Amino acid sequence: MKLKPFRLSVLGLSLLIPAALCAVVLFLAIYSAPAVSFNGFGFVSRITWDLGNLYGDPVTVRGVQVPPGASYGILVFVVGTLLSSFIAILIAVPLSVGAAIFLAESVPAKIRPILSLLVELVAVVPSVVFGLWGIAVLIPLMAGYIGPGLSHILGFIPFFSGGNTGSGYGLLTTSIVLALMITPIIATTLLDALLQVPKENRESAFALGATHFEVVSKAMMPMVRTTLIGGIVLALGRALGETMAVLMVSGGAINIMPQNIYSPVSTIASFIVSQLDSAEQDPTNMAVQSLAEIALVLFIITLAVNAAAKLLSSGVLNGRSKH
Amino acid sequence: MHIFKNLRRSTLLRSGVAALALAAVSAGTAKAATTLVETGSSLLYPLFNIWVPDFTAANPGIQLTTTSTGSGAGIAQSMKGLVQIGASDAYLSDSIVAKNPNMLSIPLAISAQSVNYNLPGMAAKHLKLSGPILADIYMGKITMWNDPMIKAMNPGVALPAHVIIPIHRVDGSGDTFIFSQYLDKSTPAWHTALGYGTTISWPAVQGGLGANGNPGMVSASASNPYSIAYIGVSFKAQIDKAGLGTAELKNADGKFVLPTAETVSAAANSLATDTPVDERISLIFAKGPEAYPIINYEYAIINASQPDATTAKAIQTFLTWALTTGNDPKYVSQVNFLPLPPAVVELSKSQIARIQ
Repeated sequence: MKLKPFRLSVLGLSLLIPAALCAVVLFLAIYSAPAVSFNGFGFVSRITWDLGNLYGDPVTVRGVQVPPGASYGILVFVVGTLLSSFIAILIAVPLSVGAAIFLAESVPAKIRPILSLLVELVAVVPSVVFGLWGIAVLIPLMAGYIGPGLSHILGFIPFFSGGNTGSGYGLLTTSIVLALMITPIIATTLLDALLQVPKENRESAFALGATHFEVVSKAMMPMVRTTLIGGIVLALGRALGETMAVLMVSGGAINIMPQNIYSPVSTIASFIVSQLDSAEQDPTNMAVQSLAEIALVLFIITLAVNAAAKLLSSGVLNGRSKH
Repeated sequence: MHIFKNLRRSTLLRSGVAALALAAVSAGTAKAATTLVETGSSLLYPLFNIWVPDFTAANPGIQLTTTSTGSGAGIAQSMKGLVQIGASDAYLSDSIVAKNPNMLSIPLAISAQSVNYNLPGMAAKHLKLSGPILADIYMGKITMWNDPMIKAMNPGVALPAHVIIPIHRVDGSGDTFIFSQYLDKSTPAWHTALGYGTTISWPAVQGGLGANGNPGMVSASASNPYSIAYIGVSFKAQIDKAGLGTAELKNADGKFVLPTAETVSAAANSLATDTPVDERISLIFAKGPEAYPIINYEYAIINASQPDATTAKAIQTFLTWALTTGNDPKYVSQVNFLPLPPAVVELSKSQIARIQ
């Protein structure tokens, strides 16, 4: 008897979150419906984004009112989003795995809380601060040294070469800033998991004569693989949706595909922010509806990435670790 | 444990906020202060910045807050009623006015835009450039600084054999609006392909960059040698400090002129009498041998029907102050703007009278 109101309220609260999620998706879908029918499937495969002449009289195209010349295509932003997040993960995973193992294995238990607190602190730095740091420190470094250096040393690999290594604003800078923002997310989740690994596993591996490296790589890492993937998914979610820092360092590419890792890019989130003010001047409202459609695409991408990661962590990898 | 601590902290915080709000209210009852918020154009922002202290000193009953975003934001937020004054370098479009007949575009001052470049060792040299050449640069047809077309316009200048980095605004911007109008009116190919607006569907140019706001334009061109950018004259001090060169632009009479007080006022005077009652007019390509081609009115975008009479009165007080005391050269010349011609001031005043 006593449990019932409690159970009901918890049930209500727990339903609220999925309900809010459904409401947001539903709103986006309904709101962007005119844009979806106007843009068609070419929306994600076209390179040109053109709001049209907002100072001209609206014309009727395919049954809807749009500014003359309006044509919306977002391939550049989809590619920019996926590439920048993917490279950020490539940079962040080794960094954070290394940091977590170091904190779990090589640091005295007394100092560990202090160091792990420092790592956690990186996670709460507002993204605009990362953006400012990117502009003030990373971009000059990238333009002057890292870009030309990478091109010189790794120029034989496609996408690393480039006669013009650019201005510092671009894909690699964006990815590095994103990597710094997500490293603590992966590192702290992994550290927590490493500390949970039963002492017996560790000690029996040592007793069998395993080296420290073997203990970590053979006895501990397999036990935290699922957590690691979970951390990466969380981090990827943040990287895919990051807006402000990306807007500040990405170079704001529009209508042009990245040619190499130094090229300016735009991500979906940063592009929505940069375009919203102009889009709101569109008297037909098609520009804002198209931005809502981009948001829908971002949502689908995030969902797909999460689903893929869930699949990876539950099925494939567990299957392998049984062998 | 953690949750409880957070809870307690947030209650503490909330009571703190409540106390502050109470203090504000009690201060308000002593002398009711009307709050006005301005946002928009980063080109107009430096002027607002020097206007606000003097205006609020003269009118202690009105509190004016000013922020720099972009003209697009100024227009959008003023239409939504989020701010009382939207600042914009661009006037409202016909279709927006048709849809919202209450939205006014009221000029406050005259501004101009310079075309700047970062050519090492050539900051003091004024390159001659024209609308068609700038259009070709931004369309990716002219890619090198030593292109024959640029050379022909600048005989005797040692132009570097280096790729041009064209920089444009990523945010909705009145600077983009007036710059694209200059290209639109001078270059048929630009007119048919791109037109003008606060955002342009920038053509793909290898190495081209986007920057945020006028401050972003200055820092992006300062950190990128061989770049070119369009920047409002209210940032002239920063432009000079960054070591950027300023171009002489070809005007309607085929002469090359720098943005100076003389050339900007020559352009403004030639168009002042053409200004219609609603004051929405492009000042690009004014006639006259001395006229600088890229000048514009700096607009306050205002909703004529305000929620209450006090706010309407406060807006009128401020705009009238801006047109009279605020148009004094001691304010406007600090940011390289010019006062409005008397005929335009009268037009603005009759628009201000519509606010209620």
